[in-house]
Amino acid sequence: MSDGIVKILDGNTFVVSDERGDIEASLTDPTGLFSYDTRFLSKWVLTIDGQRLNPLSVDDLAYYETRFFLVPGTGTVYVDAKLSVIRHRTVGGGFREQLTILNHDEKRVSLEVRIEAGSDFADLFEVKDALKKKGEYYEQVKGGQLLLGYERETFARATRVSASTRASADEEGLTFRVRLEPHGSWSTELEVVTMPAVHEMAGLISPARRSAATMERDLERWLADAPRLECDRDSLKSTYRRSLVDLAALRFAPPVAGGKHLPAAGLPWFMTMFGRDSIFTSLQALPFKPELAATTLLALGEWQGSGIDDFRDEDPGRILHEMRYGEMTAFEERPHSPYYGCADATPLYVVLLDEYERWTGDRKLVRDLEHEARAALQWIDEYADLQGNGYVSYQRRNEKTGLENQCWKDSWDSISYRDGRLPGFPRATCELQGYAYDAKVRGARLAREIWKDDELATQLEKQAADLKRRFNRDFWVEDDEYFALALDVDGNQVDALGSNNGHLLWSGIVDKSKAKAVVRHLLGERLFSGWGVRTLAEGEGRFNPIGYHVGTVWPFDNSFIAWGLRRYGFKAEAAQIAAGILDAAEYFDGRLPEAFGGYERTVTKYPVQYPTACSPQAWSTGAPLLLLRTLLGLVPQGDYLIVDPALPVEIGHLELLDIPGRWGRIDAFGRGRVEVDHRQRRRSAAR
Amino acid sequence: MADAIAEFFEGAAARGPQPQLEKATGTVRLDVKDGKRLERWFVSVKNGDVKVSRKNAPADVVIRGERPLFERLFTGRANAMAALLRGELTIEGFDPQFLAQFQRLLPRPQDRRRSTPRRAGKATRR
Repeated sequence: MSDGIVKILDGNTFVVSDERGDIEASLTDPTGLFSYDTRFLSKWVLTIDGQRLNPLSVDDLAYYETRFFLVPGTGTVYVDAKLSVIRHRTVGGGFREQLTILNHDEKRVSLEVRIEAGSDFADLFEVKDALKKKGEYYEQVKGGQLLLGYERETFARATRVSASTRASADEEGLTFRVRLEPHGSWSTELEVVTMPAVHEMAGLISPARRSAATMERDLERWLADAPRLECDRDSLKSTYRRSLVDLAALRFAPPVAGGKHLPAAGLPWFMTMFGRDSIFTSLQALPFKPELAATTLLALGEWQGSGIDDFRDEDPGRILHEMRYGEMTAFEERPHSPYYGCADATPLYVVLLDEYERWTGDRKLVRDLEHEARAALQWIDEYADLQGNGYVSYQRRNEKTGLENQCWKDSWDSISYRDGRLPGFPRATCELQGYAYDAKVRGARLAREIWKDDELATQLEKQAADLKRRFNRDFWVEDDEYFALALDVDGNQVDALGSNNGHLLWSGIVDKSKAKAVVRHLLGERLFSGWGVRTLAEGEGRFNPIGYHVGTVWPFDNSFIAWGLRRYGFKAEAAQIAAGILDAAEYFDGRLPEAFGGYERTVTKYPVQYPTACSPQAWSTGAPLLLLRTLLGLVPQGDYLIVDPALPVEIGHLELLDIPGRWGRIDAFGRGRVEVDHRQRRRSAAR
Repeated sequence: MADAIAEFFEGAAARGPQPQLEKATGTVRLDVKDGKRLERWFVSVKNGDVKVSRKNAPADVVIRGERPLFERLFTGRANAMAALLRGELTIEGFDPQFLAQFQRLLPRPQDRRRSTPRRAGKATRR
């Protein structure tokens, strides 16, 4: 991997080290062994006879295991090493490291091999914000093993370090006296076990211990079970495979899901259940891995809000934003147990439930989650309409540690007027109205067809029609023909032009008569960079091509925009966006980052990665999957799958085989016929 | 303060069927430690019906903690998940769905504020 940082993971347990396999973390540096939002190792340094080792190469064998090839020496000049060292590390319930030393000399050697171990037991939030610890540390040496511990009142976490061969342990690590015969070898297995607590809560957060062989079989099954992609363009095949593997890596089995998986949001900061991210990723993956959606719906349903709690911004029916397990959450210094401050996950929950049923025909789940879906729909009207004006808006009640921006563009300056001013709160952003509209339309279908409640269905349809009518009147920026980013407290338009317009197409809230103008903007020069649609249009007061939500291009955002374009019949434009993002994926070896720069494609020639973007990130990983769906024009209709391909010419022939769904398994074929300009951005939309 | 725990359970049993607990079936035993005294409560949930008893019965899940913590939990002043992460509340025989379900029974700090809900369609519109 790039930057000399090696990551391996299993669920929310992950190891980040340097290229030697060593960990020397500082409070602000996200290296170490992490599990359930706690750093269990912040120091892990291997020396031979007091000397550090130099990396020759790193083999990323799989997302859960890595092999480091090392030699002793200073590394400044090449030395013909007489020793080689191999560290083979596998993550799972902590990690195991097979340490092997080979003697290439004709002489016998005696070595002192030492592994230094230490832990600061930092909460991920402390690493992010560089905060000080409040508890006490201890070390225990027993036989050949070392126990590192941390306690604060009843809160306890510990790390056990041991080896399969004889070691002498002290409070800072393990030492081995090794004698190597000429051309001989020596090996030991180091084991690091994360122990959440000495108490009975082990059952809650003790990660399952899985062997590398189990994980390998699991990954093989996961890949074999996914639809197969055949295509003339090799890079697309490798992007597809990368997406599937990364999605496997990002699977997370939350304690409430009974061992089943849902997508966590991203490595390293976001290996946990997020309402919004888990839902969007599940939507993207539906034609490929529908089971992720089922777990997401169940787990988020389990934790659906059921009371009013200002600290957690919880309301009855609200779907959670983020769940965390670390010390700061435990002591309520952070509200993530779970935190509910998010205005889109709740309507999107209903959207996912309906879309899931359309694909899978799993009516049982829709019946099982009837209470949750009704409560979510009720939240939209009873708790999200903060201003009593019939629009969803947000304003945090936890003013200290709650989230100010509760939409997907959650940075402080993402929602602005054309002149760059920021509106006050509450804010009713436009895409929230789209999601609410879609939730009502889809909720009506579920009510009528599955819950057999015509009255609710009719009520929801009436509300949806009314919302659509008002929205197209109140959010429409007349002079330039697009939808404003938001309405402010006074009901005035927050009138900057942003990519949110594409999400509105996806939701179906846009009047047919207005769609053409919206599409003209999405593919026009202010928004379309040549790679994709920028979060904020060039020319707006706050536009910055490397501003997090004010000018960068987000692959996830674009995948939903492409879906929206297809929904309104703009096939060529959807293909144009898909082609841009899939081209960009090639530059990132198939792994799209969270965001990349909104520079013009003709100027930079390659997509410029956003500096601190998190990678792999679930909804970026899901983007190529959703783009494949939109390219092939896959739409479930009753027991059939409609295939209506519109592919860029240079994709050539494309086959997606064994697409799972209520139809069993089905194949989809397409041939590239849409001319897409890869060098120039489009000056105007095709229609 | 009156016995917040007893009060809570009387309330829970009196409230009748709770649709939000429909998916939970089983018996939770609460071990409330009060100095040297141990108080046991048995809460059985079946199809949304909550029954509370002090009579010994087999339990699927055992939740343990000190009396002051339970009093805070049952009056909306503490959060069960946070208490569990702190190790102040412990769970044995952990059925992962249970904590989420159990938490649904607990009041929240601002529940009292819940006013007559706004109904869509009646709000002021331009």
